[in-house]
Amino acid sequence: MYRTTIEKVDPAEESEQLRDFEDRIARGEKIEPGDWMPGEYRRQLLRMISQHAHSEIVGMLPEGAWITRAPSLRRKLILLAKVQDEAGHGQYLYHAAETLGASREEMLEALLDGRAKYSSIFNYPTLTWADVGVIGYLVDFAAILNQTMLARCSYGPYARAMVRICAEENFHKKQGQDIVIRLATGTPRQKAMVQDAINRWWWPTLMMFGPHDSDSPNTPILVRWGIKTRTNDELRQTFIDQIVPELHTLGLSLPDPALVYAEATGHWLTGEINWEEFWRVVKGNGPCNRERMEARRTAHADGAWVREALAAYARLQANGK
Amino acid sequence: MSDTQLPRYQVFLQEKPGLPHQDVGSVHAPDPEMALLNARDVFVRRPECAGLWVVPAEAIFSRTRQELEASPEFQPDESMGAGPPSSRAEKETYYVTCKPKPAGTQTLIGEVQAASPVEALKQALEQFSSTPAPFTWWVFPARLVSSSDPAEADSLFDPALDKPFRLSTDFNTLTRMRQIKDSSQ
Amino acid sequence: MDREVKSALADKLLAMADDELILGHRDSEWCGRAPLLEEDIAFANLALDEIGHASLWYALLAELLGEDGQTYPDRMVYRRDASDFRSAQLVELPNGDWAFSMLRQYLFDSFESRHLQAISGSRYQPMADVAAKVAKEERYHLRHTSAWLRRLGLGTEESNRRLQDALDQLWPYTGQLFLHSGRPEILAAAGYSTSPVALFSGWSDQVTRHLQESGLRLPEPAHLPASPARDQHTATLKIMVADLQSVVRQEEEAVW
Repeated sequence: MYRTTIEKVDPAEESEQLRDFEDRIARGEKIEPGDWMPGEYRRQLLRMISQHAHSEIVGMLPEGAWITRAPSLRRKLILLAKVQDEAGHGQYLYHAAETLGASREEMLEALLDGRAKYSSIFNYPTLTWADVGVIGYLVDFAAILNQTMLARCSYGPYARAMVRICAEENFHKKQGQDIVIRLATGTPRQKAMVQDAINRWWWPTLMMFGPHDSDSPNTPILVRWGIKTRTNDELRQTFIDQIVPELHTLGLSLPDPALVYAEATGHWLTGEINWEEFWRVVKGNGPCNRERMEARRTAHADGAWVREALAAYARLQANGK
Repeated sequence: MSDTQLPRYQVFLQEKPGLPHQDVGSVHAPDPEMALLNARDVFVRRPECAGLWVVPAEAIFSRTRQELEASPEFQPDESMGAGPPSSRAEKETYYVTCKPKPAGTQTLIGEVQAASPVEALKQALEQFSSTPAPFTWWVFPARLVSSSDPAEADSLFDPALDKPFRLSTDFNTLTRMRQIKDSSQ
Repeated sequence: MDREVKSALADKLLAMADDELILGHRDSEWCGRAPLLEEDIAFANLALDEIGHASLWYALLAELLGEDGQTYPDRMVYRRDASDFRSAQLVELPNGDWAFSMLRQYLFDSFESRHLQAISGSRYQPMADVAAKVAKEERYHLRHTSAWLRRLGLGTEESNRRLQDALDQLWPYTGQLFLHSGRPEILAAAGYSTSPVALFSGWSDQVTRHLQESGLRLPEPAHLPASPARDQHTATLKIMVADLQSVVRQEEEAVW
C-alpha cells in the first residue's frame, strides 16, 4: 500500500517541490504517505521513529523483570498494564516507520544485530523495586515531554502515533510517582531504597534528552521541517525545573553537589553531564546492552518454529480455498 | 511470508455505535482472525471501542490530494497484489475513507460500487468531493474486511471498561504532593 | 449461611483465586520473550486478566469470611506459605516452550469458561456476579488460545510434535482442575455450585474435538484422571512463591 517514491528528480523541479513542501509545513498541514518529501526528511524521520520503536520494545525488559515480584496485587496489575502499553507503543511506532517504506523485518533485524540504536536509558539495570517507581516518575516524564512535542510533528502517521502514546503515557508517569511518594514517605529502608534509585537514575535520565544543542548537528533541519519544535536543552531544562522541587518536597536529594537554584532566571542549574558515559552506553557498552539484546535475540531465535507454523497454516488456508 | 514479515493489516476502529470507523494504525498477523485478535490487544486497551475492522494493507488503494493534482488520470499501483483478476468485470462494494482536515485520520465516509480500485476512487471523487478537497483518499473492497462481531462485543471490548488503573485519573498524586508540601511547612 | 457450607465455599473460592494468581504469574514470565511482538502484548493481557480475576476471588473470599476487603487479598498473596496455597499443579508447571504454555492456557481457559457458566447461576449472588464478569474475559482467552492450537497443531511437523508432546505431559494434570473443595456435594446441595466433576464430560467432549481437529491425539481415552488433593504441589511452587513474596518479605511493617 505504501509506495516508496525515490525517483530521480530534476534539481530545479526538486527545489520547487521543496518550497511547496516547506510551505505546507509552515501552514500546519501534515505530510502523509504518498506525498513528496525530501530524502533527508524521510531519513531523519525513519531514524527517529525506528529508534523510538526499538526503545519501547527494549524498555519492556527492565520493568517486566519486576512483574512477578510487584509487592501488591494492585501494583502487579498496574505494571502489567504499563508493559502492555509499551509493547503497544512499539507497534504504533513500527507502523509509522513502515509508512516510510521500511519493513518491520528489516528494523527488527537491525535491532537484534546490534546495528540499530535505541534510547540508552534502557541499558541500565533495575536493581530494586524502587527503580520501577523512578523509571515511571523520571524516565517516563522525560519521555512525555519529548513526545508531547512530537505530537505536533509534521509527519501525519508519526504525529498520530504520538497523540495516542501521550494519552496513555500519562498514567505511566503517575504510577511511578505514586510508588516514589509511597517509598519516600515510608519506612527508613524504603526511603533509603528510593534515594539510592534516584542516585543511579538521575544522570542517565538527563542524558535521555540528547547532547547539548551545541553538539546536535541534526537539530536545525529537524526544527525547520517541523519534526522538532523544541531543542534538547530546552526540554531538559523544563524537566529539571519541574522534578527537582518535587523531589525536594519528598525529602529526596539529587546526586549533584553543584545543583543550585538561580534566582535571576528561576531555573535549577545542574553540574556538568558526563558525556563520556553517555557515548559509551550509546555505543553498546552500558551495563545491560549485551544482556538485553541477548534476551531479545534468544526470544526471536526460539520463536522461529512458531512463526514458521503460522506461515504454514496460512498457506494451508489459502490453498484450501 | 518470511520469518518476521507477517502480512500487514490496516486497523479501523469505531469508537461508539453510529460513529464512522477510523484508521488507527496497523498490525502484523498471519491471517484475518489473528489480525482481529491482535488489533484488539494493541488498540483497545482503554474504553473507547464499539467495533473493529481489519483489512489487508495491500488491498488499500490510496491517493493524496497532491498526487491527484499531479496526475488526475491515475493508474493502478503495481504493488497492489490482492484483489480480483482484471478479467472479473462485476461490480462490488468498496468502502471509501478520506482525511478531510490537516490533523485527523482516515475516516469512513461511504461506499461505492465498482469493478476495480481505480474505478472505485474515480467514483468516490465524483460522489464525495467537497471544498476544500480532502487530503487523502483510500478505497478498499468490503469483501476483504474482517469485522468484529457485535455479539462478541462484551468479551472483546467490555473488559477495557473494568481496568481503571490504566487511566491517570486513578492516581491521586497531585493531592498527595500538596498534602506533603503543606505538612512540611 | 451454614458453617459447613461456608467452609466448603471458602475452600472453593481460595482454589479459584490461587489458580488465577499462579497462572497469571506464569503468563507474565513471557513478557518480552514471546516469539512475536504481538504475543508480548497478548500474553501480558492474559496475565493482567488472570491477576484481575484472582483479585476478585480473594475479595469475595474476604467478604464471605468477614475480613477487610482492602487488606485481605494482599495478605493471602504475600503472607501465606507455599504449602497453604490451593492452586492446581497444572497452573504451577514451568512455562516450557510456546506450545506447552499455549496448551496449558487453553486447557485452563476451556475448563474455566465452562465452570464460570455453571456458577453464574449460583444462589450465592456475589459469586454469580463475579463469575459473569470473569466469564467475558475467559471467552476472549479461549478464542485466542483455540486459534493458536489450530495453527500450531496443523502448521508444521515440528509445531505439531511440540504440541503433542505438551499434550502428553499436561493431560494427567487436568483432573485436579475439577477438584475445588473437599466437599463439593455440600455446595451442590445448597444450590451454590454444580459439582465441577459434573462438568467433565462436556468439557472433555469439547476439548477432544478441538484437539483432534488441530491434528492431535489424546494420550488416553478421556476420563477424569485420578488426582492428588489441592494441598499437593509441584516443587516449583515454593520457588515461585518465594519470588512473588520477595520484596514484601523484606519488611514486615511496610506498605507498598
